Parts: sequence; structure tokens; C-alpha cells
Amino acid sequence: MLSMLMTTEYAPAEERHELQQSLLRVAGGDRDALAELYRRTRPAVYGLALSYLRNAHDAQDLTQDVYVQVWDCAEQYRPTGSPMGWLLAVCRSLCLMRLRREERHAALSEEEWDAIPAQECGLDTDERVLLQHALASLGDEERRIVLLHAVTGMKHREIAALLELPLPTVLSKYHRALKKMRSCLEGDDAR
Amino acid sequence: MTNEKMEQRLASAVEKTAPNDVNGVLSRCDERKGTVIPMTTKKTTKKRWTTLAAACLAVMLLGGGGIFYQQAHAVASVVSLDVNPSIELKVSKSEKVLVCTPLNEDAKAILADMGDGADLKGAKLDVAVNAIVGSLVRNGYLDSISSAIMISVEDKDTARAEKLQRELTSAVDGVLQTCEAKAAVLTQTLTQDATREQQARENNISTGKAALVNRVLAINPALKFDALAKLSVEELKDLAEAGAPAMPIGKDAAAYAAEQYAGTAALDSVTAEVDSELDEFPAHYEVELHTTWGEFEYLVDAYTGKVLSGQKDLLTTAPVGDETAKPTVPTGDIGHAKAKSIALNHAGVSENKAYDMEIELDDEDGTLVYEVEFKSGGMEYSYEINAATGAILKHEAEIDD
Repeated sequence: MLSMLMTTEYAPAEERHELQQSLLRVAGGDRDALAELYRRTRPAVYGLALSYLRNAHDAQDLTQDVYVQVWDCAEQYRPTGSPMGWLLAVCRSLCLMRLRREERHAALSEEEWDAIPAQECGLDTDERVLLQHALASLGDEERRIVLLHAVTGMKHREIAALLELPLPTVLSKYHRALKKMRSCLEGDDAR
Repeated sequence: MTNEKMEQRLASAVEKTAPNDVNGVLSRCDERKGTVIPMTTKKTTKKRWTTLAAACLAVMLLGGGGIFYQQAHAVASVVSLDVNPSIELKVSKSEKVLVCTPLNEDAKAILADMGDGADLKGAKLDVAVNAIVGSLVRNGYLDSISSAIMISVEDKDTARAEKLQRELTSAVDGVLQTCEAKAAVLTQTLTQDATREQQARENNISTGKAALVNRVLAINPALKFDALAKLSVEELKDLAEAGAPAMPIGKDAAAYAAEQYAGTAALDSVTAEVDSELDEFPAHYEVELHTTWGEFEYLVDAYTGKVLSGQKDLLTTAPVGDETAKPTVPTGDIGHAKAKSIALNHAGVSENKAYDMEIELDDEDGTLVYEVEFKSGGMEYSYEINAATGAILKHEAEIDD
């Protein structure tokens, strides 16, 4: 799975085509296609949800909501658009709705970045530090950009379009974020 | 650690912690797919409105009954009437109209011969509603069996709201029967909601219609409020019934798609009448093109804009020598909005999926053209459209980098 994710950027056409086919089959009511789509894209959807909701548990819940939503409105997807972009746009819109709803209930207290789920699944030291401490050192947008870039293999301009940010902003935030993460990691190493 | 390596580690950490519960997802999909609002539609007027009203009452934002506080001290209730025209009436305790406001352009036309609503001030509510519904009927809004009018009552006094609503419903139904109009009557009472009021104000619709839009959004949050707000009550009702699978293209775009297909887009003498049938499968718009040599019916897919049936290239069916059938040399300007919809339609991109939209009117060797550029789904589209005829002169789509 990891290798597939990492090669996404170098073989986008095939990946895109396959996702497209899955989405079209989901639109036709094919449950196996939904399962396949879920298996292929869940880290990306979860990563984006996590970057918005800041909490592993909420992000896991929302990830499930995204696929239920996709099942209900896959017909809306047009084969001219990027399938990953569409999926993540659904995810983003659900995240924003949820945040708005919560905002209405109560002014949020300063929430902690809490990215490690209760049942964690064999993270090594670097992964732990990255997921919890390094990401916590980033601003919201920096975190979103880095996660999207690392997990989805999306290009910076695609990230810019999804997050409705100018491309130069995405690039500078991306580089700043990597710098911060590195210093967090190396600080940890030095200890 | 290199950047690449760091990103790989991060990806792997997310991968390991991402939920992997495909069965959980699938089990919920079973429940959700095909869950529609039980606003069943019967084809007889009388039965239809009672069923719908009951269903709406059950389904819509009735909650614990209407409690609505209007700041203007004399206003006891706010009544809104929505078809596509949206009209709001502020009413006193004694059921006299204090203010009558047209909320959109269509509503202004309805109230045009009532001093834009000013003439209704001081009138009894039932008289005012009769006058408005009469005008709606005269303007052809309530003819079709599938059209719908929605009456919303907001009042802090639940009992009064419900009484008003009953009175209005039977008054409106009376008018419709007298005029032999076949529209359905939907009703709802509302509680106050600041968010909804703001949504309504921003989109020039009534709070009643905003409630209906929110109903659709609750079914499919991926749709956009402002786009939905432009649909008629009939379309919104049907959309909710159908489980809101996607954003319908709207009546104007449907008429345009049919005219493009028929090749009559440049003919001023051809008029279109559009009925939405979003509750049928496949969901479609029924477009009737009225020409000087007959009427022709087209079915246009409500979500894709594809013409499903109808006579292509209508002009070939026109009788020889019929002068009106020849395209007049149009001197007008199709306008930004039309240019945009022509381009989006051609690209097969829905408006809410397009971004970085740029539209410019330009003079190309003496011909006025609209240059339309936008991006969607990783592609960059550019169009040149004749500003007078709407014909696409040039189009390009390339990968957006």
C-alpha cells in the first residue's frame, strides 16, 4: 500500500483511471467498487479529515461519513474531473460542515492536536514523532498541505485548488512546514 | 532525514492509523441508499396536497411548533409564499398585512400590478393571498400538475401559526380549484433560526424556501446553498424526494440544451416551456419548444444536461418558405451568464465544479465574442463564443499545469 502511495505521483494516469472507474461503478450502485475505493483512498481521506478535525477519533468517524456520502452522490462525479480531487472535496466539505456545527454549539477551547488513535497500530519512533509532535508544531494550513502532499501524492497546484489557496502560498507553506518538521525530528534525535 | 523520506514516514504513519472498517461503511450504505423523504406524490390535486402537506409537516422543520419572534413590535407572523417567485408578508395580530415584499425578480413581476406589493398594505391577509395566488396563476406558475406552491408561516404563537396556515392552505387551494390550476400546496410552520434568516437574506429567498434548501442539503451536503436557492419549490421538493443525488442543471440550462440540440438557439421566434420531472427516473426536464410550425417536445437529463429524446435539427422540419423559421440576424448580446452556461454545458462541467472563471467581452475582427476561461478537474478550458448568436467559435481543453 505504501509503495502504491509513493508511486502515485509518478504514475498518476493509471491511478487516476482506476479511481475513475471505481467511482463510476460506485455511481452505478456497485458495492464492491465502493469497498475497493475505500481500500485505495482511505489514508488520503483520513489524512485530510485529521488535518481539519485535529483529533484521530473524529477523523475516523468522518472518514466513514465520506464514503457513505460518496455512495449517495457518486452520480455527481464527472469523468472530466480528478477522482481524488472530487473525493477530497467531499471530505473537506463534510469537515467544514462539522466544524461549523461545533462552533455553533460552543466556542471551542484551545484544542490539542491528538493524532494518535486509541488503538494504535505499530508505529515506529519516527512515525510517532511525526504524527504527534511534528504535525502539532505546524499551523493548520501547513499541516493540511504537508499531509495532502505526503499521503495523496497530489501536486501542489491540485492542493491549491482543493484548499482554495493561491499556489505560491501553498508552496511557501509546504517548504516552511517541512523545515519545522525536520527541526522537530532532529531536535528529538539530539535528545 | 531527507524531505522525501520524511514524507514517506508521515504517509506510512497515516496509513497505519487510518481506519480500516470497510464493513462499517458498507453497512451504512445499505441504510442510506434509497432513503427518500416520504413526500409521496399523487396525481390528483385534492389528495395530493393533503398528503404532501401532512408529509411536509412531519418531515420539515416543524420541530416543537413554531416560535418566532419578530423584532418589529406589530408584526405577529411572517407568511412567505414560494413558487419560484418568493414573496414575504408581515402580518399583524389582527391578520392585516403590514408589509408585502417581493424577494426576487420573478416576485416583482407578480406584484407589478399591486404597486410592487405596496397596495396590499392594510389588506386582510386572506384577500392579499388571494390576489397574489391569482397573479401567480395568471402568470402561468401554477398550471402544471407538477408545480408546487409553498406556504410558510413563522409565528411565536404556535396555535396561531397553525390556524393561519390552515386558513391559508384552504384559501390557496380554493383559488387553485377555481382557476383549475393543478399545483400542489406545501405548508410548513417554522421556528426562528438566525442562520437560516441570514441564508435567506443573502440569496434573496424567503426563510421558508431556505428551510426547504436546508432540507435538501441535509440529504446531500455536497450541494451548494446558493445554487439550490435558484431552483423552484417544485424542483427542490422533487429533489428531496429523489434523495438529492446531484445538482440539477436548472430550467434555463435545460431549455438551452434543448434549443442547442434542436438547432434553434439563434431563432427568436422559438419559445421554450420547461417542466421539471426530477421525481421521475431518469430525472429530467421536459422542454416544449414552440415554433411557428408546431410544438416539439424534448427530454433533457436533469443532472447531465444531455438531451434524452426529441427531434434533432428542427429547422429541417420547417415548411419551405417560412420566413420566421430562418434565423434572424441577431444583433443582441447573449450576456455573460449565457456565455458561461454555453461553455460549461459544452465542457460537461457543472458550475459548482468550475473555478478561476474569467469571462471577457472582446472584439475579434469586428465580431463581438465572449472569451470564457475556467478550470475544473485538472483541466483548463477556454472558449470563444459569438456574443450575438451564442455559437461556439473556438474551444480548447488542456491539462492544467
